[in-house]
Amino acid sequence: MTDQTLANVAPDGPAPFVPTRRRRRFRWRRWSFLLLLIPGLAIYLAFIVYPFGTSFAYSFYNWNGVGPLSNFVGLGNFRYILNSPDFSVFFYRAILHNLYFFGISLVLTTMVGMFVAYLLTNIPERPARVFQVMYFVPYVIPPVVIGFLTSVFLEPNFGVVSTVLQNLGLTSWDLPWLGSESLALPTIALISAWASIGFSMLIFLAAMVGLPADLLEAARIDGASRVNLFTHIVFPLVRPTFITLMTLTFISSFGTFDLVYVLEGTQAGPNYATDVTGTLFYRTAFGGFGATAQNLGLAAALAVVGFFIVIVVSAVFVWLQKHYSVQY
Amino acid sequence: MVQQPIHGRRRRVSGRAQAVVYVLLALGALIMLFPLIDMVLMSFKSMSEMGTSPVGLPQSWLFSNYSTAWSQGNLGQYLVNSAIVSACSVVFVLLLSSLTAYVLARFEFPGNAFIYLLFLAGLALPIQLIAVPLFIIMKNLSLLNTLISVILVYTASGMSFSVFLLVNFFRTIPVDLEEAASIEGANSLSIYWLIMLPLLRPALTTVGLFNFVSSWNALFFPLIFLNDNSRMTVTVGVLSFVGQYSTQWNLLLPALVIITLPTVLVCIVASRQFIRGLTAGALRM
Repeated sequence: MTDQTLANVAPDGPAPFVPTRRRRRFRWRRWSFLLLLIPGLAIYLAFIVYPFGTSFAYSFYNWNGVGPLSNFVGLGNFRYILNSPDFSVFFYRAILHNLYFFGISLVLTTMVGMFVAYLLTNIPERPARVFQVMYFVPYVIPPVVIGFLTSVFLEPNFGVVSTVLQNLGLTSWDLPWLGSESLALPTIALISAWASIGFSMLIFLAAMVGLPADLLEAARIDGASRVNLFTHIVFPLVRPTFITLMTLTFISSFGTFDLVYVLEGTQAGPNYATDVTGTLFYRTAFGGFGATAQNLGLAAALAVVGFFIVIVVSAVFVWLQKHYSVQY
Repeated sequence: MVQQPIHGRRRRVSGRAQAVVYVLLALGALIMLFPLIDMVLMSFKSMSEMGTSPVGLPQSWLFSNYSTAWSQGNLGQYLVNSAIVSACSVVFVLLLSSLTAYVLARFEFPGNAFIYLLFLAGLALPIQLIAVPLFIIMKNLSLLNTLISVILVYTASGMSFSVFLLVNFFRTIPVDLEEAASIEGANSLSIYWLIMLPLLRPALTTVGLFNFVSSWNALFFPLIFLNDNSRMTVTVGVLSFVGQYSTQWNLLLPALVIITLPTVLVCIVASRQFIRGLTAGALRM
């Protein structure tokens, strides 16, 4: 057999050109690999792509989920979300709060993660690995646990922080962190940023470890200080990674839900001071909006607006990333 | 392994600068870990001790907090449910995404790039935004209030990242082995099972751990799909637990420690594999 000889002649040689070889096989054999694609694709289509598509369909109806899809309202839901005295206040406030989460995470998670990663490249590998695990642990803690732990720490009367501050005599610092309209959002955003420092650290570490050694070495021989090395060589080289993380941070700040839900409930109190798209969506779709009954059509429209924001912003970030990517 | 060059190269820097780096890293680590360590310590304290000295070692270690929380909180049931959900999602994601990634990375066919893009696009989708149609689908399939509903959603949503990671990993594996096997007459399924899966092990570990953590920690879909107390996973379970014992921190804290342990243990035990998989090329984005 010719195939056999080919394999015997050059077992380690360059791989034969794939299409040529496959063209000799029977047709069913040639396409049989597609069978392997079916199960994964089917699950993904059924539970991600199809629901994504039907969100658009639902968004045109004023429908409460009972019985068949009915009461077509056209763009009415979108008008209600974007421009109505009842609902758009909630919507814009929630979007603003999502952006607030994004801003805090960008500064804290991304910058601190990058800084920690840079520090880790300056120490030997073994201790670096121990530190990596330490910084990464909060990332794998269930957000629900972080939420309840926060409530134990920040409880105003006998919480950990309150007790410690009183013992130290710093009563003026003993503030209602989760209970005041001005403090609740920064507090929760800070905690959520804290939890994901480990993830951005790892991503930056991956990028920094892959940097060309000779370039860094050359800069060092030329007398670049550590700070200069970072600002002039390392940062420009990891800028694409920075933008990738910015994209991921943006997407996840639009997914914020767990912490707000655990700490402030579906009403995202005090007085909606911590309301984000996630909690607004939850109330709209699954009740909890006081007199307003659950409205799945409106919630779907809200989701569509959410997709739109996330997709447009991600596209801009991806473009930026292409723009800044460096070949080395 | 991968990190050898950069770490090794810098070992020559001055001792004082090194010390500063260590001090900064240690301070940071303290900020990262202090709340968690204090959670564990407090979980052994009595209510009154928490109120007077919430920081530091307990005067006496009250292991009874744990047994009370366990027996009153239905924690065993929640843990079993979470274990079922996580194990099934992980196995399904591993199997389906590796098959999908194998086909997408190794075969030319019309639509290949489109399907890959479809999976990539899922990375930009905050999954809870499709909760309404998913809720309707589960209702129509009579899967509400079953663990299967949550397993299906987390399998599907886990695939985006996993396919992305595995396709990138496949591209680093030379095609020679498959070529040889294919010439010997092996079909694509047996090539996948006998040759590709073993080679994929490092990436599969990362994918598996990642999906384990995300399905164990997930709140949103269990919250809207699972209402019956006997079907709840740990995250929703602890919410209903808090509903009953909100101020009893001596029961709440042990419960929090118990439901956190699996992910933290897995993270520490497999940290090397996990971090290596994440840093080895696949996440060079």
